[in-house]
Amino acid sequence: MADHSGDGKQGWADTKAFRFAFLGVLIIAALASAVAGFLPQFQKDHPHFSVEGMGAFFAVYGFAAFSFIVLAGQHLRKLVSRKETYYDERE
Amino acid sequence: MTSASSLLTALVMNPAVILVAGAIFGAFIPNGFAAIRRPLMLVFVAVSAFQLNRLGLGEYGVLSIFGEPVTMLRVDPLSRLFAVVFHIATALNLIYAWHSRDRALDFASLAYPAAALGGVLAGDLITLFVWWEIAAITSVFLIWGPGTRATFLAGMRYLTIQVLSGVLLLAGIVLVYRETGSFAFEEIGLRDASGAIKASGLLILLAFGIKSAFPLLHNWVQDAYPKASFAGTIVLSVFTTKLAVASIARAFPGTPELVWIGAVMTIFPIFFALIENDLKKVLCYSINNQVGFMVIGIGFGTAASINGAVGYAFTNIIFESLLFMAVGAAIHRTGTSKATELGGLYKTMPLTMIFAIIGAMSISAFPGFAGFVTKGLIIDAAGEANAFWIWLVLLFASAGVLEHAGIKIPYFTFFAHDSGKRPKEAPPAMLFAMGVSAALCIAIGVYPEPLYALMPHQEAIANYHPYAPYHVVEQLQLLLWAVLAFAVLILVKWYPAEVASTNLDTDWFYRVPGRGLFGWAVAAVGAIWMFSSRILSERFMGAIRRVYALHGPEGALARSWPTGFMALATAIVLGLALIIAFAA
Repeated sequence: MADHSGDGKQGWADTKAFRFAFLGVLIIAALASAVAGFLPQFQKDHPHFSVEGMGAFFAVYGFAAFSFIVLAGQHLRKLVSRKETYYDERE
Repeated sequence: MTSASSLLTALVMNPAVILVAGAIFGAFIPNGFAAIRRPLMLVFVAVSAFQLNRLGLGEYGVLSIFGEPVTMLRVDPLSRLFAVVFHIATALNLIYAWHSRDRALDFASLAYPAAALGGVLAGDLITLFVWWEIAAITSVFLIWGPGTRATFLAGMRYLTIQVLSGVLLLAGIVLVYRETGSFAFEEIGLRDASGAIKASGLLILLAFGIKSAFPLLHNWVQDAYPKASFAGTIVLSVFTTKLAVASIARAFPGTPELVWIGAVMTIFPIFFALIENDLKKVLCYSINNQVGFMVIGIGFGTAASINGAVGYAFTNIIFESLLFMAVGAAIHRTGTSKATELGGLYKTMPLTMIFAIIGAMSISAFPGFAGFVTKGLIIDAAGEANAFWIWLVLLFASAGVLEHAGIKIPYFTFFAHDSGKRPKEAPPAMLFAMGVSAALCIAIGVYPEPLYALMPHQEAIANYHPYAPYHVVEQLQLLLWAVLAFAVLILVKWYPAEVASTNLDTDWFYRVPGRGLFGWAVAAVGAIWMFSSRILSERFMGAIRRVYALHGPEGALARSWPTGFMALATAIVLGLALIIAFAA
């Protein structure tokens, strides 16, 4: 069990400085990986599929896939979500 | 027929039997001496591992039962890989709950892994069946552990499904024996030479499919595993599905249907995990998704893809356990696994948070971590097979893994909104187990060669270079841009908030309408029975009364007893003769 309730102090991950730094590093790393995809030394010699030869395919696909999962997936709630005690009331 | 001494020798040399002995030994240690129970059980794990290493590759314990050869122990490259990681997982799980005082939990924490180990080391189908059933029975004690009505019902549902898997396996074994005249556990295949589906193959694949949680057969995992104690859930998460994966890899490599089954397995749990509030259940959906990758690899059936499937199983056991351990530590300290009730724990559980992030990066397959050096083999196999849509599915599923296991688990446990809870850091034993798991995730990721040396097809792994520049860049693009999508969705507040709810899945069919139908059927059978018995008993009693009236002391035929008795006896004998003649 929790030993004591929250003290209201802001942790390092809650500071704006950390959030900006994290986001900055993430954006730089993501852009760098996308740019690297266009450099010949980071491309596959014999790609299986033509899309692999498109420098930023994996970046676009990763962004789109993640966004789709979150934006479309949350609507599944409308179909399958019930109150927490749903089964307790029936068993 | 095998002599008792050769049977005893075969049993004693089996590492799985050594673990069983450890479990039984532990069960007899009274709670007054509980502090030494797990240390002593750990000694049995060490002895079992030593015995596995001492034996080396080969077949042992070959016996003859009713004239049929039975190979109780086969150590080949496939079974050795699973046996090694089962020993690692068993030892870490024992250490994790070091201070357990629960005798049933301690017993099952060794007996159940022992059964799974015996299953992967089985050289014939009869031995596999025996361990298969022992695994089902021993694991249910972990689910029943908390001792509530909900856990009892979940355990019964789990046991029913596991026993059904065993019955299907037994039926399949009988058909295999009729077809081949052998119980050897080798490649079975789903189709015969003409391309028609074999009943034997179908039954056994269904049995394996239940245990590995194929789509629509999967929901026992989410129903049962989270009901166990947090330590029990970690043990459960490792063995059953991986025993099934090992069995599928041996019996059904190169079965094209598995590619599509695996593809569905990788996709649908992602969406259920997204909306699930209970982080234990999120990880259970993650098991489905991860086993899907393995099933696809087995379905392609090439040497490289089989290496990928079983290698991914090896690494998955370590990083999936690590995530379960981290969530388990949070449960141990806060009493909840609900995302809506957690958050902000990084402030007081920093080490657990670091271990969770290492597990998350491993399961997401970031370069430098264990998942990266094995998952690539499966995705490459899709490319080699020119299976474009499956390749896209695997990439999509990789983004999905990042969402629910890579981000959701650490984010909602340790960051997100501040729950106000300020628990102590996890106990030292838990930290040690998580620390070793995390170290293994990094060690395998940085230096995968020892794992590669364990893979069953050495010729296919020799020229595989996971850190080829293109592979690193492709993976970083996929993952970093997916993380970026998460950051954007959080910033624009489009990422859905967690909601306390129960999400219906396939278990709804047997828990609600199925239960109602069962209750109705019981009532209907009861009513029919009562009605029939009343009618029959009235008829029977009427017949007795008539016989009594005729042959009883006051009856007409009792006036001359021998004549009356003779008439009755003749009628009975003639009746019997009629029945025998009819039957003949």
